[in-house]
Amino acid sequence: MRLCVDADLCIGVGQCELLEPEIFRVDDDTGTSTVISAPILPNQRAEALVDQCPSGAIQIDPDVNPTPATPPDTD
Amino acid sequence: MASPATSPDIVSSTIYLEGIPHSQFSEIMAHPGLLWHPYQDGGFWVVSRHADTKTVSKQPKLFSSAVGHTNLWDLEADALEARRSIIDTDAPDHTRLRRLVSKAFTPRNINLWENVTREIACELLDDFQHAGGGDWVGRVAAPLPIRVILSVLGVPVSDADYLVELSNYLVEGTTDQPSLAADTFGNTTDLRLLPFGSPASHALFEYGEQLGAKRKSDPKDDVVTQLVMAEEDGNRLSAAEYRNLFHVLVFAGNETTRTAIAHGAMAFSEFPDQWKRLESDGKICAPAIEELLRWATPVLHMRRTATDDTELSGTPIARGDKVVMWYPAANRDPAVYDHPFDFDVSRETNPHFSFGGGGPHFCLGAFLARMEIRILLEEMLNRKLALRQVGAAERVASNFIHGILSVEMEVM
Repeated sequence: MRLCVDADLCIGVGQCELLEPEIFRVDDDTGTSTVISAPILPNQRAEALVDQCPSGAIQIDPDVNPTPATPPDTD
Repeated sequence: MASPATSPDIVSSTIYLEGIPHSQFSEIMAHPGLLWHPYQDGGFWVVSRHADTKTVSKQPKLFSSAVGHTNLWDLEADALEARRSIIDTDAPDHTRLRRLVSKAFTPRNINLWENVTREIACELLDDFQHAGGGDWVGRVAAPLPIRVILSVLGVPVSDADYLVELSNYLVEGTTDQPSLAADTFGNTTDLRLLPFGSPASHALFEYGEQLGAKRKSDPKDDVVTQLVMAEEDGNRLSAAEYRNLFHVLVFAGNETTRTAIAHGAMAFSEFPDQWKRLESDGKICAPAIEELLRWATPVLHMRRTATDDTELSGTPIARGDKVVMWYPAANRDPAVYDHPFDFDVSRETNPHFSFGGGGPHFCLGAFLARMEIRILLEEMLNRKLALRQVGAAERVASNFIHGILSVEMEVM
């Protein structure tokens, strides 16, 4: 599964960097998460990450996953 | 519509002098759907289940933090604006405020404070051990988090005692018997306009403003400097937002972790086999920290307000209804936890809501709190410091903070 970060939603908690440090890093200047390597994970890990991202910024990339999970309603 | 079934009383502050009313929460949770709790002129829906708490937390548009207030009562419009903090905002204001402070609290940046935290923990534990015990709150649980958060913020540690004193008065503001006269600390502001309705908030605002002014002329590498510089940059942080943010950081940064550490010591005293388990493991693993957090549940509730008609667990919720999440109930929901009333440091599945139920208001200091607790427990293990509670703990009469004012512990 391929993931992406919605930078408008991200509040820079760092949960993604804690769980998947090879892929995500919170940029100290912008205070938001950035993708530093191909954001592809086995389904279970990808879904856990989406679930644990407090702001709903980490999402299943809708462009490459034909039936994406419904993103949580956040703003 | 028939009137909804009514919840047993879970708001009278005096109930909490005996501890969390678990039997009431179990009764509430066993009821299909949600119960309505009368409160003042109206009431609120009691959200007790783990799944419902998560649903509410993760839908901030539908369940707003900015409408009304995040406490049980509504504030008048002028008071709400004057007191509005990062806790009582929705996006986009919340996102802007949160990003101003979030980077200091990411797991990576929190790790940088580990040595400072260990130094403080060692000093406090050595003193406690040499004294053979004493009041665990006054000697360890309170000073550790306040000294750490002040270091992170950039507040001189020599002012720690003063800020703990203010914080104690703020907690008192959540009880039925605040003791301070309105003009204490030179306050002239209408108490309605101050957080917790307490003159101690005026003192904390004033302290934050003076420190901010110092950092503007003499910047340092700390959070207060980052905040006042953001303020200078333009309209990113108003003076009122700075005041309220400083207030939240000091209060939430010490009161909640203090409460977790107090309940942690009490739990290990009540369940000595669990401490022995850590001793035989010889190390502190994540499950022990998460179980301590679940057990303590320092913040008892947060309120949201529905912005549209909806439903929860089959109960219709109307636009404008207050919806209050009671975290101690969700943290012992039998649908999620086996033996929820056992304190078990090896509990593997533990998706507790002691940092909130997810969503954008997830506790800013979560990783800081975990680090402080881990280091404290590690240093207790290093010292073979087993504790035994002597007598009853003195609890705070508050339905909002699960606070312990003092608890006597002897060193085993």
